[in-house]
Amino acid sequence: MKDVSLFIPCLVDLFLPEIGEATFRVLRRLGLNPVYHREQTCCGMPAYHAGHLEEAGRLARHFISIFEKDEAVVCPSGSCVLMVRRRYPVLLEAHPAWRRRADALAGRVHELSEYIVDVLGRDDVGASFAGKAAYHESCQLSRGLGVIEQPKRLIRASAGTELTPLNAADECCGFGGDFSMKYPEISEAMVKDKADNFIAGGADVLVMSEPGCLLNVRGYLERHHPGRKAVHIACFLAGNEEAP
Amino acid sequence: MKIKTDQYAETARRELGNPNSRVFLNLLPAFLSVMRQAAMQSFPDPAAAHAMGGVIRAEALDRLPELLEQFERNATAAGTKVFWAWDGHAANGYILDLALKHGIGYVTKGKSMITEEIGLNDLLEENGIEVWETDLGEFIAQLLGRPPFHIVGPAVNVPVEEIRDLFMDRIGLEKPTTDPVELGLAARNFLRDKFHHMEMGITGVNMAVAETGTIINVENEGNIRFNKSSPRIQVSVMSLEKVVPTMMEAMHLLRLLCRNCTGQELGAYVSLDTGPKNPDEIDGPEELHVIILDNGRTRLYQDPNLREILRCMRCGGCLNVCPIYRRIGGYPYGWAYSGPMGQILNPLLLGLDRTRDLVQSCTLCHACRDACMTGIDHPGLLLYLRSKAAEGDPDLGASPESWPIAWFFKAFAHAAANPVLWRTTVRLVRSLFNRTAREGRVTKAPGPLAAWLESRDFPAMPEKTFHERWADLERKG
Repeated sequence: MKDVSLFIPCLVDLFLPEIGEATFRVLRRLGLNPVYHREQTCCGMPAYHAGHLEEAGRLARHFISIFEKDEAVVCPSGSCVLMVRRRYPVLLEAHPAWRRRADALAGRVHELSEYIVDVLGRDDVGASFAGKAAYHESCQLSRGLGVIEQPKRLIRASAGTELTPLNAADECCGFGGDFSMKYPEISEAMVKDKADNFIAGGADVLVMSEPGCLLNVRGYLERHHPGRKAVHIACFLAGNEEAP
Repeated sequence: MKIKTDQYAETARRELGNPNSRVFLNLLPAFLSVMRQAAMQSFPDPAAAHAMGGVIRAEALDRLPELLEQFERNATAAGTKVFWAWDGHAANGYILDLALKHGIGYVTKGKSMITEEIGLNDLLEENGIEVWETDLGEFIAQLLGRPPFHIVGPAVNVPVEEIRDLFMDRIGLEKPTTDPVELGLAARNFLRDKFHHMEMGITGVNMAVAETGTIINVENEGNIRFNKSSPRIQVSVMSLEKVVPTMMEAMHLLRLLCRNCTGQELGAYVSLDTGPKNPDEIDGPEELHVIILDNGRTRLYQDPNLREILRCMRCGGCLNVCPIYRRIGGYPYGWAYSGPMGQILNPLLLGLDRTRDLVQSCTLCHACRDACMTGIDHPGLLLYLRSKAAEGDPDLGASPESWPIAWFFKAFAHAAANPVLWRTTVRLVRSLFNRTAREGRVTKAPGPLAAWLESRDFPAMPEKTFHERWADLERKG
């Protein structure tokens, strides 16, 4: 069995560990051996997005020294992958040795659906869900990494699943990290539209690939539309999503 | 123009609850975005045409000093009077002197963000010179004393009943009507009279062509053409980045600009002016003054991280795709420029301290970057500005960040770089955080999450993190 290194976002580790477990199970099912480095913490994105480059750079170096020996690193979050792949090399520009290490690692870090479809060349991961699924295109994954079709292919290949269109699927859900806490009313207007579009589209479940979007959309659905389900794609594919 | 960038959050809240704004915001930006995408498809290779916009602008900026001097030479040779203004004060002073020297009673204007930026209208009015905006939307916004709601449709959010009352009150509309055609006619009659007797017209500039000394304006109402063709004196104000090398490049940018702005292949009126009226011509001004305005832009040009924002052609494409602009409209941005471009331009021109919200209020969704006809990476620039704000860079008008925030990030990074400390911290935070939880959910809590919880739940931290579940997971699968 080939080793694949799990890059577990801090949000997943602390608040949504079932996404990490699902990622593990999906990769196992594909015949891989997921390994987990216990020294991993946070990729530094919150500090980077807040403009604290020195702190973000420190965490980038921490991350690189943990993961740089891995052949493949897989993460159930597009934004965290974007951080490592695109932001680390820029953050570490002033330190040529670190910059080289960041560049060397960048190409080996993959978002889960991107890894399964583009690297492993698989569509069918043995998932099943009897019903209609809509897919929300998370910004950092779609516009940031250009990963749009891969998750949809995985959903379509699931047994019994019909992928239904979602109006304004590519519009931001209003999470944006601490944006949602600093500007809660604007964020609420955005997530409300996301929820309304999901409900109007008639799908049974709203699938997304970003833990941050999931916290936001699920949190809104729980409050205003109890019983409506939003799930992370790893849980969807593992078939072990927990009903909210 | 009053600077209200510090009232972003409260204005945004008010606009979220404003039904007139909602009607417009639910329709026009999405409509313009669809129109834009359709219009872009009329290029044989849309992606290449789009990319070329960025290439032209980037190259023009790298040659900026040389191109500006070339423009000045060729414009001057054609009879244009070129004035270099270091700041708004210098530009305004030049225009005021000109008006006073010629005994001008009123000026008419074409819509221009640059004169909003330098507050020209206020200065002229303070000196007893009437100012009439002649773009219909800008005319309404002027009568209402409000900033532009949208760069292309400055008053598109104003209900027709309000316009009726305004026109009856201010421009002599006799019969109350909400018929847009009749309202348009009333404004036209009023403004035609101003054009008829005009002495001085003031416009902005969409592009300046270095090889010919030409200035180009594009519009849909014909009012800019009036301002340029019938006064004795024409003053056109351009920010210094608007220059492009050749007519060929200008024409490609014009194609992109019209498509990105309004979804048109070409605006209804495009006017190109090379010098004032020749003796054998019947149209055009006797004097043509072009003011090249710096107002802080040389500093942006010199910073390799910031130069990119000078590519902006003010098409407004980024506003139409921005999920935040689509919810709050143009007022919260508080100054001449709104939407994503305004979130970068306003802070750079006004300083970071008074524009903190503009830099922070972004989810980094990248829709603006994808729509930008000149390839500006707005989120990348915002992240750079955030780093300058955190650092407290005085050159960009930022004072040092408050110590609790600075300390928080230091502590956070220290913990996250030390796995043992991180795990201890996680356990501590969990025991505190979960005190606010009921049945696995947090619905009310003090601190930074309080505002989020007004409209959304948050999960409690599970008894075991992924980290703590790993041993079991690896063993049992």
